[in-house]
Amino acid sequence: MTALIRRLGVYLLAAWVAITVSFLLPRVVPGNPVAVAVARASASGDCNEKCVAAVEAQLGYNVHTSMWDQYVQYLGNLAHGDLGHSWTENAPVGSLILSYLPWTIVLLGIATTLSFLGGSVVGTLIAWRRGSWTDLLIPFSTFFAALPYFFLAIVLVLIFGQTGTLLKWFPSLFGWDIYTTSPGLNLPYIQSVISHAILPAATVILASMAGFILSIRNQVITTMDEDFVIVAQAKGLPGRTVIWYAVRNALLPVVANFTIAISLIVGGQILVEIVFNYPGIGFHLYDGLGKLDYPLVQGVFVVLTLVVLAANLIADVIYVAIDPRARQAA
Amino acid sequence: MTIDSTTITQTTAPLRRARVMRLPRSPKVIAGLVIVGVFSVVALVGRFFEPYSPNQTDTQNWVQHVLVPGTGGDTGLPANFYPLPLPPSAAHLLGTTVFAQDAWSQLLASTQATMFVGLIAAVIATVLSIIFGVTAGYIGGSTDEGLSLIANVSLAIPGLPLLIVLADYVPSAGSSLLIVAAIIAVTTWAYTARTLRAQTLSLRHRDFIEASRVSGEGSLRIIGVEILPNLIPIVAASFLFTTLSAIYAYVAISFLGLAGSPTGSPAGLWNWGEMLREGFANNAVRGGWWWWWAPPGICVALLGTGLALVNFGIDEFINPRLRTAGLSAKAARKAGAHVSTTLGLTPVMRKAIRAAGTAPSMPDAVLEIRGLSVDYGFGDQAVHAVSDCDLVLRRGRVLGLAGESGSGKTTLALAATRLLRAPAVITSGQVLFHSKPFTGDGPKGTIDLVAAGPHQMREVRWSEIAVVLQSSLNALNPVITIGAQFDDMLRAHRPHLGPDERHSRAVELLDMVGMNGDRLRSYPHELSGGMRQRSMIAMALALEPQVMILDEPTTALDVVTQREILEELIGLRDRLGFAALFITHDLSLLVELADDIAVMYAGRLMEQAPANALFRSPRLPYTHGLLHCFPPMHGKRVPMEGIPGSPPDLRDLPSGCAFHPRCRWALDRCKQEVPVLAAIPGRNREVACWLHREGATPPPELSLPEPEEVFRERMAQQMSPL
Repeated sequence: MTALIRRLGVYLLAAWVAITVSFLLPRVVPGNPVAVAVARASASGDCNEKCVAAVEAQLGYNVHTSMWDQYVQYLGNLAHGDLGHSWTENAPVGSLILSYLPWTIVLLGIATTLSFLGGSVVGTLIAWRRGSWTDLLIPFSTFFAALPYFFLAIVLVLIFGQTGTLLKWFPSLFGWDIYTTSPGLNLPYIQSVISHAILPAATVILASMAGFILSIRNQVITTMDEDFVIVAQAKGLPGRTVIWYAVRNALLPVVANFTIAISLIVGGQILVEIVFNYPGIGFHLYDGLGKLDYPLVQGVFVVLTLVVLAANLIADVIYVAIDPRARQAA
Repeated sequence: MTIDSTTITQTTAPLRRARVMRLPRSPKVIAGLVIVGVFSVVALVGRFFEPYSPNQTDTQNWVQHVLVPGTGGDTGLPANFYPLPLPPSAAHLLGTTVFAQDAWSQLLASTQATMFVGLIAAVIATVLSIIFGVTAGYIGGSTDEGLSLIANVSLAIPGLPLLIVLADYVPSAGSSLLIVAAIIAVTTWAYTARTLRAQTLSLRHRDFIEASRVSGEGSLRIIGVEILPNLIPIVAASFLFTTLSAIYAYVAISFLGLAGSPTGSPAGLWNWGEMLREGFANNAVRGGWWWWWAPPGICVALLGTGLALVNFGIDEFINPRLRTAGLSAKAARKAGAHVSTTLGLTPVMRKAIRAAGTAPSMPDAVLEIRGLSVDYGFGDQAVHAVSDCDLVLRRGRVLGLAGESGSGKTTLALAATRLLRAPAVITSGQVLFHSKPFTGDGPKGTIDLVAAGPHQMREVRWSEIAVVLQSSLNALNPVITIGAQFDDMLRAHRPHLGPDERHSRAVELLDMVGMNGDRLRSYPHELSGGMRQRSMIAMALALEPQVMILDEPTTALDVVTQREILEELIGLRDRLGFAALFITHDLSLLVELADDIAVMYAGRLMEQAPANALFRSPRLPYTHGLLHCFPPMHGKRVPMEGIPGSPPDLRDLPSGCAFHPRCRWALDRCKQEVPVLAAIPGRNREVACWLHREGATPPPELSLPEPEEVFRERMAQQMSPL
């Protein structure tokens, strides 16, 4: 358990850093937009003291108490799930994010899982059949791994999207058909949600799978030269058992390095949501940026960090489960 | 982009140069370098070739004016036009934007800014990570703990969201290339720092660093002179990776509109992300104006591919296993080899398989290697690791195979069992297995393993020929229990056994090597080295094989355990009657263990004789030298001489007899002609040495009487009446 607790400690610390960064940014960066808005409000004759106080309250930015008091209050609010008040939506940021979050998490979870599994299978295949035609997949994957997610999204919209110009197979705007269906547990809505998720999910899967393919291929090739794989072959074990021996071990470093992968995928997905106007956190972050809704932007940052930390923790638990050496140390 | 010749592997200077020369030869790396090179040139000089200013608009001439339906003409409403961008033409190589700007000029300007931000961010991040990583790894202790914690925390926070809030709140981020780069660096440095820390940590404990510390060199000097040069490949790979991440990050925040608009105030810079943002925001995709939005996206992908390809080369440089994996099937086919890509079978040159006789040369032969040659690599690059070896293993006997490391003994044994992988290839020879299984269901008759297919090999492997390798820690699968490994093997070969029978068989086998059956539940890392090797031997005995190949099975163990395991092996051999090919560099060990000994040098068999005869009266200068390397445990003192010089480089073998430069009795003939193994007087004696051919007189050291004769003489002396 100690190893897992240590990791948990790192994540708690990371969460605290993220929260503190989002507290400090509007307060210590000189000339930042929030400070400017407050200064403008208090300098203008049209806004009396109460008006300035209201603006400050909305921004969660009170210059009249000490920094420490503000910090304590900020943390206290956070503990109660209070992330501030969104200007544009005129609603608490916490409940707004809660309503965006499922879209992002479901898309992220399904896409990452499928892409990891698919990447493992294809990467193993390339490693196992090295020297055959499957090697052609390497430059191909390298190119896909290098495509920015949002650019791939635009290309997929162009080719397959109904807002594109070519095949018009799948819907490519919004999370569901906002004109003919209404949210709820009804079949048309669910069908619509699924068909609207196809292109965003395909984008995230295609873009992230290439990276998994390459790293798993490298790991399997490295593992295949280990003695235990050669001994497994010397034992006359069936081919699939030998492959399994190699893959089980090759996956360990990939899972251990999941932190980097998940961080990249989350970053990519934010932009994918924007391209598809997909109603998750990323799209609303973009929306908030455009409308200068700072409380929303900060809230999204904190919540996204928590999501990523939770994903990391899951990866750590999986790692401990699949590596007996880590289990013993854990 | 060149890689410094210093590598993490400590090799000799000429070898190092050769490796660096090899790096750019891979087509992947060349393609990568070309792509990165072209983009760099465009970034440097592109601005001077911009036909227009990227901000310049000419709404009269650079857009088509389309009448808004329902206006102008007869409608009575004033004519209203909307602009459409122009497709590519001679005047506008990439057409125009909907704002009547020249897309090509924008792309050139964007290339510069994007690459410069990427480069500066990567420089900042790399410097940060070197300082952090090397300090943490070198100083260690609580400094390391603290710095590692910082790196891990910053690694756990997702980069792009952090970048977004930072860029959103830092007022001048949009207009200052440096500030954007610095913010990106802050979100990308941690991964490299962690890698460098791990590498520094492992370097720090290497002998050459410890030596410098002991000799009183200053820390900074050690870091600068000893550690940093060894980190260069990793730093280079990380630098490219960071450049790539930084470019993505810059493009992403520009796409979000956080890096400042080039036409706004303060003005941001044209970059690929900004072009994509404008195109996307102004319906370029729906409008079909691909010339506006597609080129910047393709540029990001191309540059990313280029950097990744160069990184591929560096990876293969750092990890040689990836390099050999890059072997092209074409080279193998050209050289006429079947390269098996699905199963663990050493590839065989087509011409190697021949319908030679398969009759056993001795009635009790079980494994016969005839004229076996093994190369690493194909065509001109081939290294001849084993040349024309003949070896006969007789039923129930122990044949010792001795030689220095690199002499090809392991290659010979693994090639004979077809366990070597490409680029190793069997170029000629036969490996005849004359099978008479102990248990009923094994294959019978003679099988040429060189010509055998995967199915046939699987039948023979382990059930008839088992292998025990040197390092048992690596030979056991680290993530499953010993019991599961027994189980997998028994299930594959004895499908009729039920789970309980398999378990009880495994317990029985462990008992045979003196281990408790409880150990089946252990993972390999929970066992000592001796235990692991015992369980490996138990596993090898499980199917009652006719042949055991033991490749230095005790070398990695301490002397006491070594002795115990050897005694156990001898006992088991006597009980179970398997034949063993025992490979070791320790000749004195073989004398006690083996019935016959074969000595290898530079890929050739040089001497073969019964163990005692070879030990008492070697005929080969090399064997003589080997015997005088190890102090005998008992008996009379012998002066230690050793062998001058070092084992030859297989890529550059001396002419004639490969041993002649180290041989103190070398003749002129030895420098020109390769001696072949041939019988000499004495029982079962063969030697490949010109000193024992007609016309030469072997020195007295190499013509000691056979031990039987010595014994007979002694007996005769004692018997004779005084």
